Amino acid sequence: MCSFDYQTIMSISIYGSSVVLMLLGLYAVLVKKNLIKIVIGLSIVDSGLHLLFVAVGYLHNGTAPIFSPEAVDKVNQMVDPVPQALVLTAIVIGFATTAVALSLVIRLYKHHKTARIDQIKSLKW
Amino acid sequence: MSITPVHYIAVPLAAAFLIPILSKFHKETARIIPGLVFSYFLVISFVLMRQVSNTGIISETIAGWRAPWGINLVFGYFSGFFATLMSVIGFLTWLYSYRFKLVDSKPAMSYYILLMMLVTGSIGIVITGDIFNMFVFLEIVAISAFSLTSFYPGRDGAEAAFKYLLIASFSSFLILLAVLLLYTQTGTLNIAELSTKVHLIPQSLKLTILVMFVVGLGIESELFPLNGWAPDAYSQAPAPVGAVFAGVVVKGGIYATMRVMFTMFDINEMGQILLILGLITTIIAEVAAIKQTQVKRMLAYSSIGQMGVVMMAIGIGTEDAVFAALFMMFNHAIIKGLLFFSTGFLLHNSLTKTIAEMKGVAKKFPVLSFMFALGSFAIVGLPPFSGFWSKLYFLMAAADAKLFSMIALVLAVSIVEIVYYFRVVGVMYYHQPDESLPTKQPGLNAYFVMGFLAALIIGVGVYPDLITNFLHAAAYELTHKTEYVQTVLTQFVR
Repeated sequence: MCSFDYQTIMSISIYGSSVVLMLLGLYAVLVKKNLIKIVIGLSIVDSGLHLLFVAVGYLHNGTAPIFSPEAVDKVNQMVDPVPQALVLTAIVIGFATTAVALSLVIRLYKHHKTARIDQIKSLKW
Repeated sequence: MSITPVHYIAVPLAAAFLIPILSKFHKETARIIPGLVFSYFLVISFVLMRQVSNTGIISETIAGWRAPWGINLVFGYFSGFFATLMSVIGFLTWLYSYRFKLVDSKPAMSYYILLMMLVTGSIGIVITGDIFNMFVFLEIVAISAFSLTSFYPGRDGAEAAFKYLLIASFSSFLILLAVLLLYTQTGTLNIAELSTKVHLIPQSLKLTILVMFVVGLGIESELFPLNGWAPDAYSQAPAPVGAVFAGVVVKGGIYATMRVMFTMFDINEMGQILLILGLITTIIAEVAAIKQTQVKRMLAYSSIGQMGVVMMAIGIGTEDAVFAALFMMFNHAIIKGLLFFSTGFLLHNSLTKTIAEMKGVAKKFPVLSFMFALGSFAIVGLPPFSGFWSKLYFLMAAADAKLFSMIALVLAVSIVEIVYYFRVVGVMYYHQPDESLPTKQPGLNAYFVMGFLAALIIGVGVYPDLITNFLHAAAYELTHKTEYVQTVLTQFVR
């Protein structure tokens, strides 16, 4: 019998769920025919990646990375602030992309009177 | 206040926020302010290039955190070449589309703002010294490009833009994942510090990161299996934006590829793959260009083909090959600019923009047709024009690397290129014009822009030394990364 401690289970579940989210989103983008569902899929891929970013910077029992007189001796316990800063930027970018994508979906729907991607094919090489 | 690289980013961003407010008071500000910004770009490029030639690479610290910790901007010969080229193409595009408007004047404002953001984002990619910051600028470029692609509601722009958005989201996903993997392995995001630490990464993981970068940046730089967005985007966007896509956006993608492959990693690790991908890209794109009936799609495929050759030159990886790649990108920017600008007026009132509609336009527009013909001759590499020299330098670099079968293939593909360009020129000159089509004569500003580009093409073709010294310096700087790394990392000493 092998036993896992709490920390290992946590990290496996966090990393695992981020990978699952990414694959789920990719599946939606590749397989779904509805434009809105594709945009949702893109958003899920982004969420998975953002979770992975946060997980990389996570420390078990870590503290906030703020230098104060009480926290001077706790430098080793501080979580890494850089991935959190990155993930904030990435969320904003993902938000902008999703907004543009949804506005494009509205215009496609008005132009073609359908939101199914297999019925919109005026451009081909 | 002295001019520093950050002005490239801060000034247009401030202007983009101010334009919607100021245009409430006066309508013309929406088109005048971008012109002032692009003129200022030219001033910055000129001043900084002089400074680089006097004192070497400039590294600027942002927000007081020096290099490995904070974000820094780096401006050397290599970055400067791209930034200057983008500034010039941006300014010319603004001047060309000065009279650009839709029926009501409001959408024109968003056109100018997006055009400015497109050029700003591309210059940001070029001057940043931080890999995550580069990703942010890639996204700024991508979002502006989607909006410009879907600019005309009547065309199929939204479909092209949605395709572009899907594939660009995949690209940004891969680049972000690669950046994260790099950060977990080395603990830094600074390109200069990364280049000193990549040897710490285990070989298998390093290959994964490299493949992610090649695929992610290959989407931006139109590599073969990843370039499905390009012909749609080029053909649906307004004509001047086609020139910006070819001259600025793709150059940003190629720059990022070169910076990652040469400065951060060693080109020998991926060179062979880039070589083969470039070769496949060129062959497929040039063959696909032949069967196109729309002029702008044909120009887009030709653009992909040229980028394939550039990618081959990068794959060879010697200093001469990099020099040829830079020369080729310079030529591609100015010649494709001329072709897109002249096509914009030759087919101004046609919705389908097919080659058949260009029948006999030479009788109606003698000057414009001459410009298009000159661009066609230059891009296939006929001797008195600048396209000849870049192709020659590329073939010489390939011969030095003993890649003779590749030379044969590239030359065979050039014949295909001649066929489809000269077919259009033939249609323009040797057919009777169709009198029923309405026409629009270009203004003086458009003639000036095209005349300037044509003069540049002939000038560089007759006397290539105008720019070769500069390009040699840029190629030297890229292939010898020690100066770049030292300047960035020893900043605090100065």
